[in-house]
Amino acid sequence: MSLVFNRRSLLRGMLGGSAVYMGLPVLDVFLNTNGNAFADGAKLPTRFGTYFWGLGLTDTPTGGTRWVPKKVGSGFEITPELTSLQNVKDKLSVFSGFRAIGDGRANLVHWSGHASILSGVAPATSTRFDGPSFDTKIADAIGGSTRFKMIDVDASVSRRPVSYSTRTGSTFATPEATALSLYTRLFGPGFQDPNSDNWKPDPSIMLRQSVLSAVKDQRQALLANVGKADQVKLDQYFTSVREMENQLQVQLQRPDKCESCVVPGAPKELARGASVDIVNANTKTMARLLAMGLACNQTRVFNFVHTASSSETYIAGQSKIYHQITHDEPTDAQLGFQPETSKLASLVMQGFGIFLNEMDAIKEGDGTLLDHMLVMGLSDTGYAKIHAIENIPMFLAGGAGGKHKTGQHVAGAGEPVTRVSLTAMQLVGAPVGEFGTGTMKTSRPISEVMA
Amino acid sequence: MLLGRKVHVGALSTLLIGTPFVMSAVFAATAAPVSTPTAQSVPVASPLIKVGVRRVTESQYRHTIADIFGSDIKINARFEPEKREEGLLALGSAQLSLTSSGFEQYFELASTISEQVVSEKQRATTVPCKPVDATKADDTCARQFVESYGERLFRRPLTELEIAARLKSASLGATQGKDFYAGLKLALASFLVAPEFVFRVEMAEPDPANPRQYRLDAYSKASRIAYLLWDSTPDPELLAVAKSGAIHTDAVLKQQLARLTSSPRYEEGARAFLADMLQMDGFDNLVKDPAIYPKFNQAVADSAKEQTLKTSIDLLVKKKVDYRDLFTSNDTFINRSLAAVYNVPFKSTGDWAPYSFPANSERSGLLTQVSFLSLFAHPGTSSPTRRGIKIHEIFMCEPTPDPPADVDFSKVKDSNKGTIRGRLLDHMENTGCTACHRRSDPPGLALEHFDGLGQLRLLENGSPIDVTADLNGKKFTGAQGLGKLLHEDPRVPACLVRNVYAYGVGRKTDDRDEDYLADQGKVFASSGYRLPDLMMQIASSKEFFKAVIPSGARPAASTAQTTSTSPSP
Repeated sequence: MSLVFNRRSLLRGMLGGSAVYMGLPVLDVFLNTNGNAFADGAKLPTRFGTYFWGLGLTDTPTGGTRWVPKKVGSGFEITPELTSLQNVKDKLSVFSGFRAIGDGRANLVHWSGHASILSGVAPATSTRFDGPSFDTKIADAIGGSTRFKMIDVDASVSRRPVSYSTRTGSTFATPEATALSLYTRLFGPGFQDPNSDNWKPDPSIMLRQSVLSAVKDQRQALLANVGKADQVKLDQYFTSVREMENQLQVQLQRPDKCESCVVPGAPKELARGASVDIVNANTKTMARLLAMGLACNQTRVFNFVHTASSSETYIAGQSKIYHQITHDEPTDAQLGFQPETSKLASLVMQGFGIFLNEMDAIKEGDGTLLDHMLVMGLSDTGYAKIHAIENIPMFLAGGAGGKHKTGQHVAGAGEPVTRVSLTAMQLVGAPVGEFGTGTMKTSRPISEVMA
Repeated sequence: MLLGRKVHVGALSTLLIGTPFVMSAVFAATAAPVSTPTAQSVPVASPLIKVGVRRVTESQYRHTIADIFGSDIKINARFEPEKREEGLLALGSAQLSLTSSGFEQYFELASTISEQVVSEKQRATTVPCKPVDATKADDTCARQFVESYGERLFRRPLTELEIAARLKSASLGATQGKDFYAGLKLALASFLVAPEFVFRVEMAEPDPANPRQYRLDAYSKASRIAYLLWDSTPDPELLAVAKSGAIHTDAVLKQQLARLTSSPRYEEGARAFLADMLQMDGFDNLVKDPAIYPKFNQAVADSAKEQTLKTSIDLLVKKKVDYRDLFTSNDTFINRSLAAVYNVPFKSTGDWAPYSFPANSERSGLLTQVSFLSLFAHPGTSSPTRRGIKIHEIFMCEPTPDPPADVDFSKVKDSNKGTIRGRLLDHMENTGCTACHRRSDPPGLALEHFDGLGQLRLLENGSPIDVTADLNGKKFTGAQGLGKLLHEDPRVPACLVRNVYAYGVGRKTDDRDEDYLADQGKVFASSGYRLPDLMMQIASSKEFFKAVIPSGARPAASTAQTTSTSPSP
């Protein structure tokens, strides 16, 4: 047994249990004045993203599960629905048993779960979040020096393009919904190859800046005599203007060389369809482009949607959609679980495996891109058949530049989901010491995954 | 003081005499920042309140650009998604802001549109003057350009500061690029990204008839009418009657409404309303399983949407039939792609041809068109529940609550056998589900002779499909029965009245609107349920311009902070 004590292990020991940890917020004193690096100068991990898939993973009515590993801590075993994560098992942590807590608010089906994880509060209505999603806080902390503060992607090819990233709670980000649009955004007009030897500042950029300054001059007049709701809208608008200005400013500076950056070619148009094979193919292509966008320093923060909540994906040629199957399919008496639902869950999780493998495929420094990022995987429900918001599957993948102690399974035992969100924020250096409201308010990150 | 809004003089001078408001302050209303060199640290008091900031929809944006600069200006962009609230995108967009990726798109568009507008090909018609020297800045000509387009784009005259900011851009661009038109391009681009263009900023002023109340100001009135009836920005004539204040008189207002509804552009306005209400935007992302519905493709999706809008406009606007006939009429238009799905011959040599389904056909009315049937279904199956929910939501303004989270699905059986009716009956027996499913499912079950693409079928999994239904004790059979039921249901025209009003004012209706809506419903009935008459009638009512002061918005003049620093009259 290790006899090395640090503050965390000491506090853990004092409380004597594995389910209760003392939180150690990142105090401002540890951060430099910009909040983007620790005071000793060591760079914080600089990429963060969320990866969302719809309909959770499968539990069994008798209390069993198709996904939660039996072993807690390091060396957890791969369960049937996590098979596709085998390759990157040592580079991620699994979080089970965490729950969204409504404090009397109704469980809005396929909405309350991820809204709680992302905004820290169970929402009042199913079209909005009651606060900003936390990825925007991370983007504000670490996303300012790249061309895009954040990139949103939706690979689901169904219904309306979906993003769960929001600053106002009502306006959600517009995701890139095809590989081609993602490519164009990252590598189309305005892209500057960081490894080019002939870099020159583009004089037209300064003219474009002047277009924005005329707009900004009117800000104060516009915000006078305006209602609160409209003020929120206009504030968001001017935030967008500032981000555009920042984008232009970044383009006026010679980009730092990135040895891992290899500018990709334009992707081929993929078949349009919502079946899971097409969504996974789309995920692969878009993940590859996104990974190169990160390696080429175009952005440091992203949100990736594989399938939306109450997912409409399906197995090609079959008439019923995943969502309907989760509810309708009876539990097989012999197997003890819903076989078709579990099969679809595994297929959907292939998308996450594909995504992480693409991140891990890019070599960077002495590791890979995945080692220098943190991806939070999350869903809208736990056991979808009953719209459970308990045991919502969550993952933290990637080394976060050495800050994340990967390869562990953390059993939450009914703790609020916000603890995982707070952990993610602190691992990538967002200066946030507390997250969530009501019972979900927490200042306790999950210290055993923090190096 | 700032004279940009001198237009209000006529409209407001009488009301302002003897009122506690500062005349000059009115002019400075929208756009005078407090920190201008001339007005340094003297906050400008204004009795005008911003009562609405509504994001312009994609179709409004496109119509506005085409109306101002000509329809050959190409707009190639992906617009930020809109959001539907209480059945209408118009209500959702009133809640929306612009995210950074959405702004990026507007920024790019601003540049490409401006480039086209001042291109050598276009400038003879688009630029109202010639510069003295085309390689240099020319403030006089630039000012003409800026003032004329600025007024159309902001839907009101500009303040001097707004003009000055654009002249600065024009001069910078012209000098740097040694090209007068490069300067105009920048000036125009800065209008096109401005919040006053991207959002419709609606203003209220004290109502002269009721000094303690507010009414929409003349320009906001003009915009409300123009966007309702044309889906576009006010034209110069409408701006002129706003400028003179004449729009506040009933006679002039009615004259303008008659002019707008008799213009060919009214069809565009009605089309935009119907596309919103009928949720045609769903076709942008509709997918079907190719193995199950091999006849579905993008051409079918586009055609289905066009069929519904074409048919609705033909019946409601051109022929001015009773709105309720939309649910029973067998008259429509088809093209080659749709003929394949409907399984009928297409004999025309043109793209589209009128087509009437036989009187005994199950295809009668809007609900039996491919658009409704395919939009409200799953990728590989029909969905009676979804169709039923949408019938209630779209045509009766009755939303269905979210399903309860704790549904007991244990009784639900697998539905790979027999028809879907059996599975839904299980739902109806479940106490948590029954209230909604008893309402949503019957209309959907009556449409079950149409599969998830809208193709006619009589069997499901080998079993005959029963299309009888019972809604609140009213028994009916199949699509024809459903069409007749809706035709006679008073909630259907009442819902249209509500939708037209909410669409126009960009605000959800509430209890305080009920009396007004009921009255409008009676007039609608007495006019024979004609849509154009309804739109005119609503747009000429006082309630259409009623200003609802949002929380937090107070006139600057009445706040302690401002009155302490600005001179009071």
